Amino acid sequence: MASWYILQIALLLSFTTSLSLSYDLLQLQQQQQRSSLACLKLLRQVKGKPENCHQDRIDFKFPEEILQPQQFQKEKAALVIQEMLQNVLGIFRKNISTTVWNETIVENLTDELHQQMDHLKSTILQERLEDKNMTMRDTMTTLRLKSYYWRISKYLRAKKNSICAWTVVQAELIRNFSIINRLTNYFQD
Amino acid sequence: MDNWIKLPGCQHITGSKCDFFPLINFYEEIKFRVRAEEENSTSSWYYVDPFIPFQKARLGPPEVRLEAEDKAVIIYLFRPGKRDGTSIWDMDALSFEFSLVFWENSSHGEEQEIKTNFYISKMYDLSTETTYCLKAKARLSWKVSAYSPVYCINTTAEHKLLPPENVTFGARNQSYVLTWEYRDVNVTFRAQWLHAFSKLTPWDNSNEWKQIPNCENVRTTYCVFPQSVFQKKEYYFRVQASDGNDTSFWSKEKAVQTEMYSTILPPVVSMKSTNDSLHVFVKAPKKQFDTFTYEIILWENASHTERKLVSKRSDIIIPGLKPLTPYCIKARVLLQDKWNKTSVFSAVVCEKTKPGAAASIPWVIPVIVILLLAVIAFCVMKLLWKCFNYVFFPVFKPPCSIEHFSEQPFGNLLLSTSEEQTEKCFIIENTQSVIIVEEPEETDEDYRKYSSQSSQDSGNYSNEDESLGNQISEALLQLKPQALSCPGELVLGLSSLGLHSS
Repeated sequence: MASWYILQIALLLSFTTSLSLSYDLLQLQQQQQRSSLACLKLLRQVKGKPENCHQDRIDFKFPEEILQPQQFQKEKAALVIQEMLQNVLGIFRKNISTTVWNETIVENLTDELHQQMDHLKSTILQERLEDKNMTMRDTMTTLRLKSYYWRISKYLRAKKNSICAWTVVQAELIRNFSIINRLTNYFQD
Repeated sequence: MDNWIKLPGCQHITGSKCDFFPLINFYEEIKFRVRAEEENSTSSWYYVDPFIPFQKARLGPPEVRLEAEDKAVIIYLFRPGKRDGTSIWDMDALSFEFSLVFWENSSHGEEQEIKTNFYISKMYDLSTETTYCLKAKARLSWKVSAYSPVYCINTTAEHKLLPPENVTFGARNQSYVLTWEYRDVNVTFRAQWLHAFSKLTPWDNSNEWKQIPNCENVRTTYCVFPQSVFQKKEYYFRVQASDGNDTSFWSKEKAVQTEMYSTILPPVVSMKSTNDSLHVFVKAPKKQFDTFTYEIILWENASHTERKLVSKRSDIIIPGLKPLTPYCIKARVLLQDKWNKTSVFSAVVCEKTKPGAAASIPWVIPVIVILLLAVIAFCVMKLLWKCFNYVFFPVFKPPCSIEHFSEQPFGNLLLSTSEEQTEKCFIIENTQSVIIVEEPEETDEDYRKYSSQSSQDSGNYSNEDESLGNQISEALLQLKPQALSCPGELVLGLSSLGLHSS
């Protein structure tokens, strides 16, 4: 008899906690999408409008496994987003050119990206960071992402941060944010 | 066929080891092969197992630079690897974690272990002219480096000019106020700020402390600056004193989350009255906050009993109010954040509700409607009367060919009175029946045809139960409807009685 009541209470508790957790996830998802929107607005503000940059176009080869729609757990989605945000930030820090970017824009973008990473770290990734056993597959995904951003960085260096090169990278980073938004859908798994 | 590339710095090596720093993609699998060469002959290639450099690379210790003050030591950390953009750890600058061990270099110096993500730290409340030592190790995911060598430094003698103390932060109207304490009077101060995230990135020119406007060479122990200057989430502030010749060391850094202090502007409220409800529009103040909730207070202008409403939407309809009454509202923003911040109330807006629905419609329309209804009612009454007369006081003339039909049974079907005694083929003029009309003979054929058709119809439409009503309808329709003004009316009249439908 008592065990039946205990079971009921346990079920109710788990239901309510899962409800509260899923509410936070919805907020996080919306918040991430808002942040992506803010970043996109900033990204679009490259100084000047170059015309003939077609010859500079290149395929940076974004990792396929992230593009293809497959079931990601919310932790994996958050991890991928975290890695992406970190690397986008890295690109701006390493290769910034004041002829192409307004300092205020870079500052705002840096702040927005930092804020978003903080948010993920304190919510979904809170437990992840303490758990050191990253699965082999997650490691491979992270490596492929890093490889992709390394290619972008190398490209910018090779083209000496020219405005054409940055225009190409700008388009690529804009695409990054739409991928991030798609990944936030996995927060509600 | 692979494109093997010569590894620079590893050609014609005489030893059995070589270091190389090519700019390769550290995250892709790489293959190496080695062979021995002797004048003109070469050995076969030895193929190294392919690997991913980033995975195989081991983390070196971080570099440390110490800076001493009189009672504090500043610790500058540098991540392992070269800082010229070619390091394998370049892209992970933000993911490093450092573990520091700090101690006083004397016999009773106990070790302090600190874990930090910051590239710059400061140890406060130390003794003057003492040696302090530090060693550090770096961590990147599961890779951990060894401890760095021990670095030691001596704190300086006590500085004459003391740094300001108790730096506090607050808000006042649309400004922020930074205050501090200082004992001496004849000094000027200046305050600086830093983005909180700067500490997470390797220290370089881009993330230096910046001067707060209107806060340089001030004589007061506070300074005021507009909130618009600091719109990001988290900052650090520090203050320094100066007496013309000498400057003090920096005060302890104050970490501030501006969200906690920033003043939210009140919303702008407008109203529209509709009948017995009010349509309220709340316009949010222009800010970066995401989730707004509004608290609306409503009261009748005369009384003071207030009604409180909480809504997430910016347009709300308040129903159930008294008409022709002035109501007033004011609203404020409720932020659903951890500090439960609110704005001040907006300006009060008053509006009178409209009069009740019935009175508000112009009088013309109801009058017209009533007239129309009266006309329709009259027509319906007229029809009903006709039907009534036809059913209860039937006036009919059976066709002459039908001899065995006698009127009597028909007349007695509904009312057993002998008033309806009729003879074949003649028209009874019944004063009650206003619908008696003489029809010309030529049209008799048509009527008969019509009636026969209708009778067929009546046969089709008759109900399952062989009711008396059906029999009557059949019989009536077989009769020449000459007594009536038009066949259509007959049909209509009958249908209204529910006897026949066509």
